[in-house]
Amino acid sequence: MRKSLSRILILTKRNIKEILRDPISLAFLIGLPLFMEILFYFIFHTMTAQFEMKYLAPGIVAFSQAFLTLFIGLLIAVDRNSSFLTRLYVSSAKSYEFIFSYALAVLPITFVQSILFFIVGGIADTSLFGIGMVLAILLSLVTALLFIGLGILFGSLSNERSIGGIASIVITGQSLLSGMWFPIDNMGAGILTVMKCLPFRNATLVLQNTVNGVSDTFNDFVLPLIIVLAYTVITFVAAIFVFKSKMKEK
Amino acid sequence: MTAISIKGLRKEYKDVVAVDNLNLEIEEGELFSLLGVNGAGKTTTIKMLATLTKATGGDALVFGNSISTDGDKIKGIVDISMQETAVARKLTVKENIEFYARLSGQNKDETEKSKKYVYEAFGLDEVKNKQAAKLSGGWQRKLSVALALVSHPKVLFLDEPTLGLDVIARRELWKTITALKGKMTIILTTHYMEEAEALSDRIGIMKKGKLLFIGTKDELYKTTGKTNVEDAFVELVTRGDIYA
Repeated sequence: MRKSLSRILILTKRNIKEILRDPISLAFLIGLPLFMEILFYFIFHTMTAQFEMKYLAPGIVAFSQAFLTLFIGLLIAVDRNSSFLTRLYVSSAKSYEFIFSYALAVLPITFVQSILFFIVGGIADTSLFGIGMVLAILLSLVTALLFIGLGILFGSLSNERSIGGIASIVITGQSLLSGMWFPIDNMGAGILTVMKCLPFRNATLVLQNTVNGVSDTFNDFVLPLIIVLAYTVITFVAAIFVFKSKMKEK
Repeated sequence: MTAISIKGLRKEYKDVVAVDNLNLEIEEGELFSLLGVNGAGKTTTIKMLATLTKATGGDALVFGNSISTDGDKIKGIVDISMQETAVARKLTVKENIEFYARLSGQNKDETEKSKKYVYEAFGLDEVKNKQAAKLSGGWQRKLSVALALVSHPKVLFLDEPTLGLDVIARRELWKTITALKGKMTIILTTHYMEEAEALSDRIGIMKKGKLLFIGTKDELYKTTGKTNVEDAFVELVTRGDIYA
């Protein structure tokens, strides 16, 4: 057990370095969402409630987490296809240790993302500071697990050339189906049902409603959280299964 | 002492037999080269011996440990350099070695000793602070092979270690491998016949999963009537008769 924990820690440190030393990953995980948060707030917050910081900041946190899928998937795809993972199997490391190490590597990154985007939001609108923000930052670690699981799943299925395209489906899904970039009140019933059933809108709602409070706790918070957790569990089970079978195949 | 004892080893993938009833003994400290055309079963054999792939039949003992039942014990005494350059790209050379040493269970002192050993053996000292991704192909390959030595294995599998290297880099790596001879048991696969000729104590030639020949270079020349490994290899593989 101790040896296993030690290996997970060693692998995690390496994964953090691999991700953070890539300037492109920093640009997309931190730079782009931060730029969009500031830009959209200053241009649109007086025109539509959509872009008030109490909605925009938690929405940006969920949006930035979608990029975790891309970078964790890319790291796994490169490790798999370069035989790096295969050679590490000779060091007695187990599949679950690899999976833990990939997930643990990005949790601190997403924690920093969350704190940064909320603090920037709080500077623009000081009413954001409060217990709701603290809880949302903590809950963002839960919503991040969904995107981490998707990253592990897609990284196990694809190679470094195809992962960009596959992960962009998640990023696009989070952008278009989260309801954070445009009002959804006038949208058709069909698309609204799709948004309610998929995890993207629900991940955003969990964070937005934690910050702003809710009138209907079950429908506005518990149900979206259950949906996000259900997708997260299914994704992780599938990711572990695919990762293990792909490594066996290799 | 026998390092590796292979008995009736077999690997099937659906309707393809990659390795077919392989029988072989390799002595401790020997450098044994496995030759064969693409798809002959060399890499599959190595992967089974390194416990990366399960055999579908037969067994092999690595220093008395069965590949079927003692996988964890074998993992502690073997290491492998894959065909592909397999390094942590964003880590420096030094960090790659440290990472691999720590993952192999070495403490700080042992890790320091491993670094020194690998720097000296492969001349990596001059590039130790460079990121692996920024090294030339030759240096990356050297690092990839060097990492297999970090765990101080008793058995080292080198799967086409000089693949893609220019002639100078290849000769340099030969020197390094020659210096390792006798210190550990080395099983090498290669497509470069002159490499097998220069480095091997014994040679095994595989075709379609079967071992056609096992013996020294001189025995190979005698069997085929040729005077170099390349001609002897072509003769044996074309003929397809089994002399093992």
